[in-house]
Amino acid sequence: MTRPTAKEIKAMSDVAGLPVDNDVAARIANSIGPAFEGFAPVAGTLPFDLEPATFLLVHMPKVTK
Amino acid sequence: MSGEPALMSLTAVAKAIAEKKASSREVTQSCLDRIAKWNPKLNAFMSIEADDALKAADAADAALAKGGPKGVLHGVPLAHKDMYYDKGKVVTCGSKIRKDFVAPTTSTALQRLKDAGTVRLGSLQMVEFAYGPTGHNPHYGAVRNPWNTDHITGGSSSGSGSAVAARLTFAALGSDTGGSIRMPAHFCGVTGLKTTVGRISRAGAMPLSWTLDTVGPLAQTVEDCALLMGLMAGADPEDPTASDFPVPNYMAATRQSIKGLKIGVPAAFYVDDLDAEVARVLDETLAVLKKEGAEIVKVELPDQRQLSAACQFVLATEAAALHKRWMIERPQDYGAQVLMRLQNGLAIPAVSYLEAIRWRGPALSAYLAAVEGTDAVIAPVAPMPAATIAESDVGNSPDAEAVIQRITRFTRPINYLGLPSLSIPSGFTKSGLPVGMQIIGRSFDEAMLVRIGAAFQRATDFHQKVPKLP
Repeated sequence: MTRPTAKEIKAMSDVAGLPVDNDVAARIANSIGPAFEGFAPVAGTLPFDLEPATFLLVHMPKVTK
Repeated sequence: MSGEPALMSLTAVAKAIAEKKASSREVTQSCLDRIAKWNPKLNAFMSIEADDALKAADAADAALAKGGPKGVLHGVPLAHKDMYYDKGKVVTCGSKIRKDFVAPTTSTALQRLKDAGTVRLGSLQMVEFAYGPTGHNPHYGAVRNPWNTDHITGGSSSGSGSAVAARLTFAALGSDTGGSIRMPAHFCGVTGLKTTVGRISRAGAMPLSWTLDTVGPLAQTVEDCALLMGLMAGADPEDPTASDFPVPNYMAATRQSIKGLKIGVPAAFYVDDLDAEVARVLDETLAVLKKEGAEIVKVELPDQRQLSAACQFVLATEAAALHKRWMIERPQDYGAQVLMRLQNGLAIPAVSYLEAIRWRGPALSAYLAAVEGTDAVIAPVAPMPAATIAESDVGNSPDAEAVIQRITRFTRPINYLGLPSLSIPSGFTKSGLPVGMQIIGRSFDEAMLVRIGAAFQRATDFHQKVPKLP
């Protein structure tokens, strides 16, 4: 997973109905970029049949004592 | 009664009123007197409702004279973060956009405290729409840290941290989506409990991220937080995400020994790049817990940076989705930093957001496997004590997100996993700023956290320190 470029962000914001100018797009790219790098080891590696509800199965009460 | 009632803990003042050793009016007046002295320096309150508070206190005293207390917080004056709907009252959410918004309902958490007999003092300042970790607010001014008013309180529950630390209210509701209870607790030297996702109803609480938002208390002591938890936790027909898992007796848990418990200390990440004084306080905290009978063990956690990144994807995307209408219609009414952070959400593809949502289960499983055999994990809340208001006033500058990331580094992974975490005052820097540690538990195991936290507070007095008026 690579961080989006300012140009890509500009296109995405246009599609979202909230267009931003070039400077804002560059600032967003700089801000959000590290999160893409942090998540890169996970992105594209999740198994096919993993549903979000898996979280609830793990999360629901398992009290230690 | 002798002494200043406002300096008592929530638990102690509730008992004093119930036993008629103090009146609600006397206690409420004591809080109002402190608010009058301190608030001009702290900016902790959004609204002060002195006349109504005294009327409600008188009514509480009259009711008590006629019969028994309404509940365990009969006549106790409280104020909360200005994002909890209270029917008929203005709830600003720290924003210009909602500066005149009148709440159509009362939030479940607040209603449960009202049902226990509380008196409303007013409402507390917060970061605009709860989206910021420092306590700056361009619309209503920065909230100041009572230990040193040049320094930040942390956010987003900035008024809650400041007001509880200065003893202007006995406790306050905060909310924690990325660290917003634990950071003000750490920076202001009070106790704060970030609850398990689903433990307390979010009905009538302003949303920031429906996946991550949690309701919780800030107070002087762990016992106070346990008392409030017991009142607020549990199922709610108004919030289908609130769990019906039985609510344990948190107060009983605070009286249990920690002898024989195993407390994990992360081998990396949470102990990396700490300010020297935070590292010292961590060592001293571990020594106290050991002396109280706990066994301290090292734990190797999965990569927490991935959790933090996933948290950022979820939070930024959901916040942008919630605010989209106002971002289109009223962008000029947002502060620069909050608008900047909301715009970040536009840059995250739907597939990336959904991957972050899908990964939560495996990520939590991996974390629980890593802490297997321990009862809780302890770590600093932040790598540093409170910065100054000036040096952390980053607005929408190019490096703003980097500053925000550093402050929230140790809190976000816990939000992503949905786990509870209790921040306890654990020491002070040489310059007199508080330092807090967080005790992280398993889902729905707040009882273990208050057990450990209360044992620590029986052995220390950091939570009893009161800042002096500058």
